[in-house]
Amino acid sequence: MSSLELFSPTNLDDALNFMLREDKGVAVIASGTDLIPRIRKKQVSPSVLVDISSFQNDLRYIRESGGTLRVGALTTLTDVLESPLMRDKLSALHEAAEIFGAPQVRNVATVGGNICSAASSEDLIPVFMALGAQLKLVSAKGERTVPLEGFLKGKRATKMKPSEILAEVSFEVPKGRSWTGFEKLGRRNMLIISLVSMALSLSMKDDLQTIAGARIAMNRVSDRIPALAVKTQDFLVGKRVTTETIAQAQKILGSELALTSDFRASGSYRTEVAQVYLKRLLLRCSGRIRGSG
Amino acid sequence: MTINVNGAERSFQVDPLDRLIDVLRDQVGMKSVKEGCGTGDCGICAILVDGKLVNSCLMLAAQCDGRRVLTLEGLLGDPDMKRIQESFVVNNAAQCGFCTPAMLMASWDLARHSPKPTPDEIKVAISGILCRCTGYYQIIDSVHQACGEGAK
Repeated sequence: MSSLELFSPTNLDDALNFMLREDKGVAVIASGTDLIPRIRKKQVSPSVLVDISSFQNDLRYIRESGGTLRVGALTTLTDVLESPLMRDKLSALHEAAEIFGAPQVRNVATVGGNICSAASSEDLIPVFMALGAQLKLVSAKGERTVPLEGFLKGKRATKMKPSEILAEVSFEVPKGRSWTGFEKLGRRNMLIISLVSMALSLSMKDDLQTIAGARIAMNRVSDRIPALAVKTQDFLVGKRVTTETIAQAQKILGSELALTSDFRASGSYRTEVAQVYLKRLLLRCSGRIRGSG
Repeated sequence: MTINVNGAERSFQVDPLDRLIDVLRDQVGMKSVKEGCGTGDCGICAILVDGKLVNSCLMLAAQCDGRRVLTLEGLLGDPDMKRIQESFVVNNAAQCGFCTPAMLMASWDLARHSPKPTPDEIKVAISGILCRCTGYYQIIDSVHQACGEGAK
């Protein structure tokens, strides 16, 4: 017998009350696709697992109202892939879900788990970051909403308190003339940890030529936290998508964020790939906005 | 806890860290469910839980209380499965055979959801399962001939 205990509450309140009482060694488990191998490899050693996987009625949904899209934390990647809402302006989410893991992983892996596991390779984090997502954290003492930007403290570390559960990810659906896109590099197409991934949320002015706003988010940044390329974004605003604009934006991107060097790939290789992705995404998103992509 | 395995209700005593694959292999004797990597990278342990293809090495058995599990053993009399298996034999789609049960489960699941799948759909359906003998094309051809566009 292992010393680990599994607590399977029947409702969210019981889970939250339990987590408030237990002060240490608690880990929340949803599908467990990330956590189970990590426990078995002794990379983490919680003393109690709180199983939230049965709260499907409370935490598994994709809803849009008043221009805001809300995704429950237990929504699976298959749910995201099959949702008709994740098209057009939200193509980035569809594109990320399409190459996430493999079918049998997508069937159980959750949106909340991808964010909370906070690995530097997670692919949904750049997408949600480009969309300016907010996270709803709940505990027995109440709830709070925090921006995803700033939520991650480092590799496998977030600002979530031990008594809290991530309940929902929400963001404003991009308005007007806008599009989003996602690119990921791995050694093969499926079932692979990304070497680098990038999400872009682009909006254009009414002339369909001038960039009104851009949010560029990448993972594999060297401080282990997915980040926005703020300088590159600022440069792009007010510019037209020309060969010269793209070249300058690529240059700024290359000097703005240092990417991780590790056994999978060097930082300079990742940077070169990121520059290519920036070009691809700018061309694709601006093309789609003009209706010609 | 109770799991419905291939139509039969089975009750188990499990350790919190026992995975679904451990219970299926060691307590039920379902040896078609094989462990490859144990980390979700190879997909050799793929089975159906509540009708969804999952990796049984990435699920705690205790989280499966009251759920329905289907393994290859539960599909031995199924006509669709029989057709896919025969096509695997004809096309030499099993070399060492270690990935074959998972490939069959993923193919059967695809055939159920997507009648007459294209080669691209077949590739996506089996994309989470590694074949170390690199017999992918034989497998894709087998599924295509058994239930895809190529089916007679």
